[in-house]
Amino acid sequence: MILGVTFTEAGVIGLLVATVQFGTLLYLAALGETISEKAGVLNLGVEGMMATGAAMGFIVGVETGSPWLGLLGGAVAGAIVSLIHAAAAVGLGADQVVSGLALTFLGLGFADFIGDGYTDDERRARFADVEIPGLDDIPWVGEVVFRHSPVTYLAVIIGVAAWFVLNRTAVGLGLRAVGETASTADAAGHSVVRLRFAAVVTGGALAGASGAYLTTYLVGSWSQNLTAGRGWIAVALVIFGAWRVGRVAIGALLFGLTLALKSRLTLFDIEISGQFVDMLPFLLTIAVLVVISFRARNRPSPAPAAIGIAYRREER
Amino acid sequence: MKRLVLARRETPTRGGQPLAFLVGLVFALVVGAILLWITGDPVLDVYERMWDRSLGSQNTWSDTFNRAVPLALAGLAVSIAATMGLWNIGAEGQIMFGAIAATFVGRLLPDAPGLILIVAMLLAAAFGGALWSFGPAVARSEIGVSEIITTLMLTEVASRLIVYLEQGPWKDPDGFGFPGVTPRPDQAELGTLWERTHIGVLIALAVIIGFAWYLRRSVWGYELRIAGSSEKAAAYAGISVRRKVLGVLLVSGAVAGFAGGIELLTTTTGKLTVQISNGYGFAGIIVAALALMRPSGVAAVALAFGALQVGGQAIQTNPGVSPAVATILQGLVLFGAIGAAVFSTYRLRLVDRQVAES
Repeated sequence: MILGVTFTEAGVIGLLVATVQFGTLLYLAALGETISEKAGVLNLGVEGMMATGAAMGFIVGVETGSPWLGLLGGAVAGAIVSLIHAAAAVGLGADQVVSGLALTFLGLGFADFIGDGYTDDERRARFADVEIPGLDDIPWVGEVVFRHSPVTYLAVIIGVAAWFVLNRTAVGLGLRAVGETASTADAAGHSVVRLRFAAVVTGGALAGASGAYLTTYLVGSWSQNLTAGRGWIAVALVIFGAWRVGRVAIGALLFGLTLALKSRLTLFDIEISGQFVDMLPFLLTIAVLVVISFRARNRPSPAPAAIGIAYRREER
Repeated sequence: MKRLVLARRETPTRGGQPLAFLVGLVFALVVGAILLWITGDPVLDVYERMWDRSLGSQNTWSDTFNRAVPLALAGLAVSIAATMGLWNIGAEGQIMFGAIAATFVGRLLPDAPGLILIVAMLLAAAFGGALWSFGPAVARSEIGVSEIITTLMLTEVASRLIVYLEQGPWKDPDGFGFPGVTPRPDQAELGTLWERTHIGVLIALAVIIGFAWYLRRSVWGYELRIAGSSEKAAAYAGISVRRKVLGVLLVSGAVAGFAGGIELLTTTTGKLTVQISNGYGFAGIIVAALALMRPSGVAAVALAFGALQVGGQAIQTNPGVSPAVATILQGLVLFGAIGAAVFSTYRLRLVDRQVAES
C-alpha cells in the first residue's frame, strides 16, 4: 500500500491494458480531428460521427458476421456523415462551429434512428485479441502492449502513415498550408476546397471507425448514448496534443488512463469520486490551452492559423 | 466549357433569413419523411401526431412555450457573446451550474417564503452561470485563450459535478439509497399563467426584450458592436476591448445560468439532474445561428424549435417509430437553412471555365 492505494500486479496490468484499449478509441477519433483541423476545419461533430460509426459498425458487423466489415462500415458511415459538414463549412462557407454542432445533433439522431432495432440484439461480431508471436511472452510488456485487438495495431499503423503523409509528402504540405493561410496556399496552386474536403472526410472516417471499435470490440453491443461524451474528449485531445500526431498519441494514452482508472477506483482503494477522474481530461486541456496562450507571446501558437475561417476565393 | 460558380449579390435579398429558416424547416421535414418512409413508418400519421402534440391545441401550446424558454434564453446568451464575435459554446454547462447554484440556495433557505426563495434562487442561478463563464472570460480577455474550447470543456466538467453531487454531498436521504439530489423546497415553484404555461415564459420574454432594447440603445451595446467589428476602431475610440470581452462573456453566462434556474423551478420532480440542461445549451447555438444572432429572431426560432422538440417527444408513443427523428430534424433545419441562406447573399451563375479559373 502506497499513500492508501492498494496496488496488485494483476490490477496494474489490467489498468494498463484498459488504458491502451481506451487510448485506441480516443486516438482514432482525435487523429481524424487533428487532420481536419490541420487543414483549417474545426469539426465539433466528432461525437455525432462517432455515434453513427458505432451504430453502423454494429449493424454491419452482426449482419455480416465480420467485425472487419463492421469497422469498415463504421468508417464509411462516419465519412458520409462528415460530408455534410464539409459541404456546409467548406463548400458554402458556413460557420464551422455551428455546422459542427448541428452535425452532432444529426449524427446522434441518425445513430439512434438506424440502431433502434438493434438495442437489445444479442448477436455479437467482436474482434478477438491478437498476440504478437515472440513478443507477447515478455513479462508485463507482452501483456500490456502485444495482446490487443487488431484495431489497436491498425491505429498505430494509421498514426505512422498520417504522420508521414502530413510531414513528408506534397499532399501533407498542401494540407497544412491550406490550414495556415488558405489564400497563399491557393495562390501556390493547392486546391483549398479539395484538400479541406479530403481532410474532413478522412476525419469523419476515423471518427466512425473509432465508434465502430466500441461496438465491435470494447463494448460489443449497441445502445443509445454509447459514445457518452468520448467525442468531446477527442476534440480536447487534439489541443492537448498541440495538433501533432505523436503528441496526440501520448495524450490518448494519458486520457485513456483516466477512463480506465474511473472503473477501477475501488479496486485500488482510491477514495476519490470517479467523477473527478472523469473531469481530468477536460481540466488538463484547459490548462494546456492557457500554457499555449502564455507562450504564444514569445513563440507562434501550434494551432493552425486558418482554423475556423471559411475561404472564398473572391473575398481574399 | 461552362461551370457553375457562386457570385455575390450586390445587395442581399431582403427577408432572406426568415425565408432561409422556412426553407430549412421544409427541407428537414422532407428528408425526415424520406427516412420514415424508408423504415416503413406512416409519415403523415407521425407528422400529424407531432403537430397535435406541439401546436394542435391550447394545452399543447403550453408545452411548446415552456420548452421554448430555455432554448430562447440559451440562444440569447449565445447571441449576446456573438455581438463581439465571441462564441459561448458552453451555455449547456452554464445552465447546469446555474441550476446547481439555485439548488444550493434552496438547500440554504429551505423555509424561506416562496417569492423570496424564488427570487433568490433565480439570482443565484444567474450568478452561478456567470461564475461558470468567469474562467473562460478571464482567460480570453487577459491572455487570449479561445473561449470556444474552454467553455465547451467546462460543460463536461459541470455534468460530472452534478453526478458527484447526486452520489455524494447532496444525496437525498429519503431517496431509498438511489443517487439523486434532494428536491427543491415545495414553495419554490414558478406558478402557471394558463394551462401548463409557467410564468417563466413571461420572465424570459421580458429578459429578451430587455436585452434586445439594451443592446440596441445603450452605450454599452454600441461599444460592443464597435469592438466586435473592429478592435482598432474601438481602441481609437477609447473603448477597452479587454473589459468588454470579460463583461460580455460574464453576461452571456449569467443569462444561460438564469435559464438553468428557471428549469429547476419548473421541473416536475424539482430535482437537480444532469438532464436539467437537456441539450438546450447546444440547441441554443443553432437557434441563435438561425436567428442571425438577433434577440428578436431568437425568440421566434426558439418557439419553432420548442414545437419541434415537444412534437418529437410525442413520436415516442408511436409504436415502432424512432424518436430520434426529432433530433435528426433539428440538425437538418440548420443545414437546410445554411444552404438556403447562401442564395440570399449569392446567386448561381453559369460562367465560362476560363473566366472562373482566372
